[in-house]
Amino acid sequence: MGKNITVVAAIAVATLLMGACSSGEVIDPAEGNPGADLRAGEAYDPRAFEGESINMLLIEHPFVNSLRPLIPDFEAATGITVNLEVLNEQQGFDKLQADLSAGVGNYDLFMTDPLHNWQYSAAGWIEPLDGYVENDAITMPDYNIDDFAPGVLDAGRWNRELLTGLGEGSLWALPVNFESYNLTYRPSMFEDAGVEVPTTYEDVLDVTESLATSLSGNNYPIVTRFDKYWDLTYLTFGSMAESYGVNLLNDDGEVDIASDASVEVTDLFIDIIKAGSPQDASAFTWYEVLQGMASGRFALALNEADLFAATYENDAESEIADDVGYALIPEGPEKRAASAWIWQLSMAQASADKGAAWTFLQWLTSADVLMQTHLAGNMNPVRLSAWEDPELAALVDTWGSEPGQYREVLEGTAEIAAINYPPHPELTRALDRWAEAVQQSFFDGNTKANLESAASDIERILLP
Amino acid sequence: MVKTRPVVGIPPVTKVKASSALKRQRRSYLMMLLPALLLVIGIMIPFLQGVARSFTNEKGYVPNPTFIGFDNYISLFTNSTFLTGLGVTILYVVLILAIQLPLALAIALLLEKASPVRRIGRNFIVLPLLIPPIVAGLMWKTMMQPSAGVLNYLMELVGIPGSTWLTDPATALISVVLIDTWAFTSFSALIILAGLQALPESLREAASIDGAGWWSTFRHIALPWLAPYIVLVALFRVADSLKQFDLIWPVTRGGPLNSTRLLHVQGYEEAFRFSSPAMAMAIIFVLWLIIYLSSFLLLRLWRRTINAVE
Repeated sequence: MGKNITVVAAIAVATLLMGACSSGEVIDPAEGNPGADLRAGEAYDPRAFEGESINMLLIEHPFVNSLRPLIPDFEAATGITVNLEVLNEQQGFDKLQADLSAGVGNYDLFMTDPLHNWQYSAAGWIEPLDGYVENDAITMPDYNIDDFAPGVLDAGRWNRELLTGLGEGSLWALPVNFESYNLTYRPSMFEDAGVEVPTTYEDVLDVTESLATSLSGNNYPIVTRFDKYWDLTYLTFGSMAESYGVNLLNDDGEVDIASDASVEVTDLFIDIIKAGSPQDASAFTWYEVLQGMASGRFALALNEADLFAATYENDAESEIADDVGYALIPEGPEKRAASAWIWQLSMAQASADKGAAWTFLQWLTSADVLMQTHLAGNMNPVRLSAWEDPELAALVDTWGSEPGQYREVLEGTAEIAAINYPPHPELTRALDRWAEAVQQSFFDGNTKANLESAASDIERILLP
Repeated sequence: MVKTRPVVGIPPVTKVKASSALKRQRRSYLMMLLPALLLVIGIMIPFLQGVARSFTNEKGYVPNPTFIGFDNYISLFTNSTFLTGLGVTILYVVLILAIQLPLALAIALLLEKASPVRRIGRNFIVLPLLIPPIVAGLMWKTMMQPSAGVLNYLMELVGIPGSTWLTDPATALISVVLIDTWAFTSFSALIILAGLQALPESLREAASIDGAGWWSTFRHIALPWLAPYIVLVALFRVADSLKQFDLIWPVTRGGPLNSTRLLHVQGYEEAFRFSSPAMAMAIIFVLWLIIYLSSFLLLRLWRRTINAVE
């Protein structure tokens, strides 16, 4: 149990929100407290919204598979019908955006994340949840919001002030899992090549080159996502850049992605990919990484999501279940840094069945139900109580090339995981532009010029 | 008297005819009024609203959009991403026409002649048209994967080095053009084939009597006859290619880099990824102008070719 408490402590401080410069501009300070008066004065009744129906948009993720078997229990207990629509990440976000911007409320609830919620909340498309959480008439008596890891829960708060105010203001979402980034490797391939698990990014390049000489056929040394979208610069390459002291904005609030350190880390990242990834590496999304690694084609996944372990360790979905190990994300010259990603659930402002939607949302994010999803592969837990559960601890303890390896790596990662970017509705556009510059450098080698051009565009986007 | 009766009787008859023709004309105008109103309400009003939005600073997080004149358009034409997209869009259309028109003509000629391949070919040629472009795109994307796709596997079997296909900016656009060619050339071929079958046999016989060979008959009789059909195909393909989206979005989403980011893709991204409907409408309006202008010019050319045939 002592080990579990260590994890609890690490997660509790995880994803502390980074400070940022402020533009001082509040988008729209006026906001009510919806949900606070719903069924005012009445006692909590799980069947209060019986007969209603809600639609939920989900993104393909192990969380979805862990949730599906539980839905009938909810429907039987509440009399509410739940319709799920599951899409892949890009299609899902596009469709959601169209629905939210049109204000039609086809989806009452949906999977989201802080980055997208900065758009949705700024536009007034989603419902602040504080009023619902505090309303005893519609919230089950044993719903414990204080059980969420504070940093993880607060990532769902924003006061809608541009480039600052994360963790303050209204609560726009409730978390369902949390991920950070690590190294996932194949011990047998490393042993055959006679190499050790890398601890710095320079080591990663050396190990990749060594693996390249020992692997043959359709096997490759390294895999990481490299499509030209925000997740590259927000999460995986973003973690590496942070460890080289590269930030989107510097302390003076200026765009700072074309510094010498930025050029150095971009070139190193590209060298690593060129040394050990297939030709089509520039089109890899997280999905190709997960599938590629699970199929056994790759020796090392660089800075990829730690929660992929639930798939890697499942021998029904993975070829590497008995040959996979985990290590801390590499260290850069400045520090060891890891981004944080939190999958959350939000409610559409245009929802016509908010009472029913909240009934489902609080049920799904309750400690018992989340615990069941974690045991079915929804990692990593966001409630502190989940980490104290012996069944979950026993499951996680088997993951890795030696007992307790995954948990040990997670503890280390949780201490450094953070959201490293300031909130802004157009951050996805800015990060897309940075990712495009990284990818362009992969093709033409003009790293400095590409980053300077991107910096200039990002300045127009974020600091007009 | 006998003669005068009809003379006397004519004017009233003419008046009745004129009056009923007028009524019929009025009725037909009235009958057209409803569709015209629906057209105005259903097409023109949203279109004009969209154009009006392109002159505002509307964004998802801007609470009260204001009129900003031509700022969005000035921003577009000083933005390298838009200009690149404009260039890629034009290049895409040029490649489509350069590859698909000769290919469609060749297929039509092949299917027109009585040969063993004719019957089988006529059945198979419609198959790509039955597959939705999104499905066709995803199918080809899988086959074009450089490290695990069947195309490179087959090419390497016969000693041809594999291609990077959709994953390299240098080859992505031509790869998408090839998918488009697979999906839509049969449509063009069928139209040209219909034109070939409408060619009067007497013209061919006359040419044959004069001793003209296949090439001479094709060059001087079939090709001029087919000119209106070919221009019609070009008109369809130019309009369709300029607004191509459903084939590109699932295959490359405009990448790698901006190598396949046509204007329609840019407009979609502005509207649905970046919550900037004003900028999206500005892009789409520019695209509409290009489509309108090119269609207008091709229609004029089409009328000229018809006159030439007549």
